[in-house]
Amino acid sequence: MTRQPLLRAENLVRDFRTGPRTIFRAVKGVSFDVARRETLGIVGESGSGKSTTARMAAKLIEPTEGLLEFDGVDVTYKAGKALRDFRGGVQVVFQDPYSSLNPRHTVEQVISAPLLYQGRKVLGGRRRVVKESMERVGLNPDHSGRYPAQFSGGQAQRIGIARALVVEPQLVICDEAVSALDVSVQAQVLDLLRDLQRDLNLSYIFIAHDLAVVRQIAHKVAVMKSGEIVEQGSREAIFDAPRHEYTQSLLAAVPQVDPSWEAARQAG
Amino acid sequence: MTDKPMLQVVDLTIAFPTAAVVDQVSFEIPQGGTMGLVGESGSGKSMTSLAVMGLLPREARTTGRISFMDEELLGRSDRQMRRLRGDRMAMIFQDPLSSLNPYYTVGFQIAEAYRAHRGGSRRAGLRRAVEAMDRVKIVDADKRVNHYPHQFSGGMRQRVMIAMALVCEPELIIADEPTTALDVTVQAQILELLAEVQQSTGAGMLFITHDLAVVSQVSDRITVMRHGRTVEQGTAEQIFSRPSNDYTRQLLAATPRLDDQVDLPEPILTPVGSEDS
Amino acid sequence: MISYILKRLLGAVVTMLAVIFFTFIIFFYLTPDPAASICGDACTPDTIVQIRRQLGLEEPFFVQFWAFLSGIFVGRTYGEGTAAEIYCSAPCLGYSFQYRTDVFDGIVDRLPVTITIAVGAAVLWILSGVAAGVISAVKQGTWWDRGAMMFALAGVSLPNYFVALVLQYLLVVQLQWLPFPAVVGFTDDPTRWFQTYIMPWTVLALMYASMYARLTRTNMIDTLGENFMRTAHAKGLRPAPIMLRHGLRPSLTPVVTLLGMDFATLLGGALITETVFGLNGVGRWAYNAIGTNDQPVIMGVTLLAAFAVIIANIVVDLTYTALDPRVRESTK
Ligand SMILES: Nc1ncnc2c1ncn2[C@@H]1O[C@H](COP(=O)(O)OP(=O)(O)O)[C@@H](O)[C@H]1O
Ligand SMILES: Nc1ncnc2c1ncn2[C@@H]1O[C@H](COP(=O)(O)OP(=O)(O)O)[C@@H](O)[C@H]1O
Ligand SMILES: [Mg+2]
Ligand SMILES: [Mg+2]
Repeated sequence: MTRQPLLRAENLVRDFRTGPRTIFRAVKGVSFDVARRETLGIVGESGSGKSTTARMAAKLIEPTEGLLEFDGVDVTYKAGKALRDFRGGVQVVFQDPYSSLNPRHTVEQVISAPLLYQGRKVLGGRRRVVKESMERVGLNPDHSGRYPAQFSGGQAQRIGIARALVVEPQLVICDEAVSALDVSVQAQVLDLLRDLQRDLNLSYIFIAHDLAVVRQIAHKVAVMKSGEIVEQGSREAIFDAPRHEYTQSLLAAVPQVDPSWEAARQAG
Repeated sequence: MTDKPMLQVVDLTIAFPTAAVVDQVSFEIPQGGTMGLVGESGSGKSMTSLAVMGLLPREARTTGRISFMDEELLGRSDRQMRRLRGDRMAMIFQDPLSSLNPYYTVGFQIAEAYRAHRGGSRRAGLRRAVEAMDRVKIVDADKRVNHYPHQFSGGMRQRVMIAMALVCEPELIIADEPTTALDVTVQAQILELLAEVQQSTGAGMLFITHDLAVVSQVSDRITVMRHGRTVEQGTAEQIFSRPSNDYTRQLLAATPRLDDQVDLPEPILTPVGSEDS
Repeated sequence: MISYILKRLLGAVVTMLAVIFFTFIIFFYLTPDPAASICGDACTPDTIVQIRRQLGLEEPFFVQFWAFLSGIFVGRTYGEGTAAEIYCSAPCLGYSFQYRTDVFDGIVDRLPVTITIAVGAAVLWILSGVAAGVISAVKQGTWWDRGAMMFALAGVSLPNYFVALVLQYLLVVQLQWLPFPAVVGFTDDPTRWFQTYIMPWTVLALMYASMYARLTRTNMIDTLGENFMRTAHAKGLRPAPIMLRHGLRPSLTPVVTLLGMDFATLLGGALITETVFGLNGVGRWAYNAIGTNDQPVIMGVTLLAAFAVIIANIVVDLTYTALDPRVRESTK
């Protein structure tokens, strides 16, 4: 039984030039796939190559080697129209909501920017689409004339998500998208992401260094270390029965509240 | 141990010209005990700790009482506070890289803290720095004293900061989000180190974090803060098993768990060749 | 580190050769005929040709260039025939027929005056500029700050030849606090030496100090906002080490860059002050040479300036390395 995933990466490699004669291999051949309405979580310590992998999957940078397939089409080295189509299908949301939004643009301009880049004409006009998009992520559409600095961190991240959604992508790549948020806001944004997935059949690549967060959103998880995926599997497999030593050490290091206290609270 | 608290904060209020950021916060830390200060960003945790150190921005106005080993700190001159800072009370910050001066070796910076209070030659200061680095388990401390901050990893830099805090053997250690910028495995090591240090020196600790799981592990008592106010205070066990406040409950419920999961929408597994966009 | 310095020096030699080549092209093609200006009013075409031949100006470009270049290393002989022979010993930067002197010797004679003015002024402006910048930054928003910055603004806005003239008029002519400037060696008469140079130093320093004050202020304010400043306070350091060791040191790197770049314009500054105060330095010599179209002198001074800039660049980079440990790493 073969399934066709939405995005398939095979043996992606990425080198960076670090000096006149030195090259650093940040990602050393990673393979993964994401089905429709599925979330792949990527975890690992800082510097393990998560962001580089994400940027290759979004074609923000080119892989040094490897293959990237979107919807069954090889897009590894595509440019021009094929690349524009891909950009419409894949969007990215970054960690720091403020620095990734242009502070001099109104929310309406920010959100509609991807439409402009892609030269899209939209039914009912840009304004309507922006308002719809804002409503969908739980922002008050009357605030479309405000500037990003006038929003809280959680709201700013919703703006980032609205901007990603405005071109109706099939895959959204979230690179530490909830890492800077307070837990209660984080929980709301995770809720939002799950709802959007259900309603719009979205797929996600969800990157976070917080393993407990990844468990709450990812169907399957890839564990990265030094540019390699050391273990990959369903969330139950990774969290409940990790096989690789590194995964085990990572999970063991996560601070947890005393289970008996948790139990007492649930009971009380 | 006496039953007198080493640090007592009573009705601490901190106001900037624009707004009050801490409002009537009270807590105490017994000899050798740890108070965990937890709350979301902007709740006033850092301002509270800076008030104890006497490091608030000049425009901040404080009222209330802060007594440290039975001495009142509020209203002291900067010169008097300076004698305490780094000597009897020391602070560790969130981002170890930017908290260290890139222009000086770590040894120099640790020695500087020592010599500011105990005097002595540069040489003697460096010897103290090596000892302090040994204590926080930096291997090859005698060589690494001469290294610069950028030559250390994130976890090692935080060890350097802890060594700097320990060098005068303070009675109180204030740690403001000391592990927030670190990877989980490194975080676990640093938390363990702080616990050991406290064991061996008997110092009291004010531990600040936004992470409930972390605070549950390190603190005897916990103060939950919100919008500059105390919403709940109690032992770790009380707060986590029988929270009495709605906000605390919400916070606990929102914290994602490693051993439990929520349901997700089913993925659509399209067989090759069937309907497509 | 050694190999880094060698690499830089090799680069400097290559750059210098290129500078010599292009300077030569400019003087070869773009300037009026020096023979005509040497010859003066009572001049016949014949004498011009004769002078040109004597100067070697009738030769093709590359022959002339080679003569110039090899002259730098082995010296050269001007003119043909026994009588007119002039020997210019290595390093030969040319021969001024107007001054009847070897250009290099002329520069060497006058350089001490220029260097005394430049270095003295530099010391003065760095000390005063950085000090003003530090005070402004530490007392940001107070009257100290405003006063220092107003002074800085005045420093850049006032044309320095004007300041020079006013100073000279007030201190020398009116109040007679200082004697007329005259070149004396430091060892001959230290008081007179100081009295001579204090005005040029002040005038030049005034022009530059303001820039250094503002640059130091800006950098220092940035540095004061760094997290490591909070650490310095938390350690219980005294205000002075906090400000100087932790605040000032990181703020000095851009100041050093500026200093390196100012080496290039310093000769121009020296030119004006030397001229106004009547001191016989390299700048004044070049100024006069431009007036009389004395090409060997102009070219010699141009090359000296280029040489100074290239050396200054290397010195700045090496100073960086000494100042910033992160840069030191990358040059290992
Ligand atoms: N543009 C670049 N040039 C050089 N090295 C880079 C570049 N981008 C990333 N790296 C290096 O690649 C490694 C992986 O980085 P990254 O993918 O950002 O890790 P992560 O997101 O897991 O923290 C790191 O060691 C980083 O320093
Ligand atoms: N200089 C200042 N002037 C006015 N308000 C400030 C200033 N510095 C911090 N604040 C405010 O004080 C509040 C508490 O900040 P802080 O103690 O840093 O919070 P926490 O450490 O809990 O995240 C925040 O709302 C912040 O915006
Ligand atoms: Mg990353
Ligand atoms: Mg804080």
